[in-house]
Amino acid sequence: MNDLRIPIGSFFALVGVILCVAGLAANFKAPLESANVNLYCGISMLIFGAVMLWLARRKARS
Amino acid sequence: MRLAPVDYLILSLYFVFVLCIGWIVKRKVATSADFLTSGRSVPVWITSLAFIAANLGAQEVIGMCASGAKYGIMTAHFYWIGAVPAMLFVGVFMMPFYYGSRARSVPEYLKLRFDEKTRALNAVTFAVMTVFSSGISMYALGLLFELVLHWSFTASVLLSAAIVLVYTFLGGLTSAIYNEVLQFFLIVLGFAPLAIFVVMKTGGWSGMAARLPQVMTHTWRYAGSASQNPMGVEVFGLVAGLGFVLSFGYWCTDFLVVQRAMAADSMSAARRTPLIAAFPKMVMPFIVIVPGIAAVALSHMALGYSIPLKPDGGPDYDQTLTTLMAQFYPSGMLGLGLTALMASFMSGMAGNVTAFNTVWTYDIYQGHIRKNAPDSHYLFVGRVTTVAGVGLSIGTAYLASHFNNIMDFLQLVFGFVNAPLFATFLLGMFWKRATGHGAFSGLLAGTAAAAATHGLTLAEGKGGWLGTVLHTFPSTMAQNFWIAIFAWSTCFLVTLLVSLMSAPKAEAELHNLVYGLTQIPHEQVPWYKRPAPLAAIVIAALVFLNLLFW
Repeated sequence: MNDLRIPIGSFFALVGVILCVAGLAANFKAPLESANVNLYCGISMLIFGAVMLWLARRKARS
Repeated sequence: MRLAPVDYLILSLYFVFVLCIGWIVKRKVATSADFLTSGRSVPVWITSLAFIAANLGAQEVIGMCASGAKYGIMTAHFYWIGAVPAMLFVGVFMMPFYYGSRARSVPEYLKLRFDEKTRALNAVTFAVMTVFSSGISMYALGLLFELVLHWSFTASVLLSAAIVLVYTFLGGLTSAIYNEVLQFFLIVLGFAPLAIFVVMKTGGWSGMAARLPQVMTHTWRYAGSASQNPMGVEVFGLVAGLGFVLSFGYWCTDFLVVQRAMAADSMSAARRTPLIAAFPKMVMPFIVIVPGIAAVALSHMALGYSIPLKPDGGPDYDQTLTTLMAQFYPSGMLGLGLTALMASFMSGMAGNVTAFNTVWTYDIYQGHIRKNAPDSHYLFVGRVTTVAGVGLSIGTAYLASHFNNIMDFLQLVFGFVNAPLFATFLLGMFWKRATGHGAFSGLLAGTAAAAATHGLTLAEGKGGWLGTVLHTFPSTMAQNFWIAIFAWSTCFLVTLLVSLMSAPKAEAELHNLVYGLTQIPHEQVPWYKRPAPLAAIVIAALVFLNLLFW
């Protein structure tokens, strides 16, 4: 493993999953924000992590 | 602020990843060069992000949000005027000499270009400064987590120090750089949503601007005179002091950041490092400064949010960021935001420790204590220095918590030492007649000039310790900018004069060190990988941003 994208991608994908689960399952609310912050941020991080992993995989194959 | 289990889960996940990165990188470390300079093998996207992440400590994130609340979007000058032009300069003009000289550190470049005493002066002051910065970073971390989460100061200092120690001990500079990149993404993904949610709450950019005085949302319109803007700075002091002396002094000569570019795998990549880094650097104000500005608008909205106060009743801007997080982030994102802060404190420490390591091992130990040992000995010394560096930082953190005044004093002195540096490098790299005696006396004279300026002027009750007050500045910021201007000019003139009076260095010894005696390799790379076109794109984007927020 010499590609930094793998640990970074895995980290954010995992955090993304945790946040999505928190957003969907538990109803955590912030005092001033009614939007489902965890779900939105979780989805973005999951996408970011997946893109990082995909880039690393593409590099490894070529 | 109270943390839920999910917050702790994210924080511990981060710790696990950091340690894993250190452990994986360890396998690549075989020589002292691998440990201390990454063996010049790091890909350019990583060195670029590390280049700015090394400077994006938590104090920076918290401080920029605080300045956003205090001064408004004018704070962006610290990025647009106070960083980007200098980053372009170091990439386009200076990197050929740093990288091409094969020096392993910035002090070592000074030795090759000038002489041993100039290197020793720079190496020793730099080593002392990095240990103190690392300790101050640790102290700030302990303080913040004590205040916000009621964690014990000792526990958070020791925990973070232990983790930093493990991963820098294992993987050296590569490990520090890799973790800086992880930290960079944590800051961006952890705080960009905050900026978006807070600005949306105030009614978007226009809604926010409507609730604020005009001066908060314009960067240049009120910079004409010091009395019109909250920074108390006029255009000349801003552009010459911050934009030229301070920013070029930091981005072009500070080994902590230059080391990242020098770790790149080729000359072309080393030159591109600061240029590519300029793009994310330019947009950082929207992530770190905008939440502070929006917080002021929010406090005018009768939602129950107000800027936190100090015990004496004045606004406590440094707490703006954490109070916004508490108001806008539910458990989960709150944990991620705190992880991002923790990460940037820790990589601030790691960056300082690894830079300290290189300078101590190569410039002080190998240069003065034991010259011709086998490489494995220097690898061993590097590892021991890591432990010593972390230990000294912990000591400094405790010193800071007991003697706050000493820290203020030291930071002032460090400012005096750093202010003239860029004049030395500018003359050294672009004027082959500059000599070691010239550089050394120029640095001393510049530092003395900085101290004298501080001693003879007054700003917000600071300075004036020489008895006579020749000038009173409207703000300490203006005073700092002018101290830098005087220090730089003095160093420049003294270096020039003393060089002309001393014997020049033989031209044969200056190859690859000075402009005119260096063959800059013409690499066959596509246009978008060449420094000049990249720099032109950065300048166009920079002008656009400045006009947009004029």
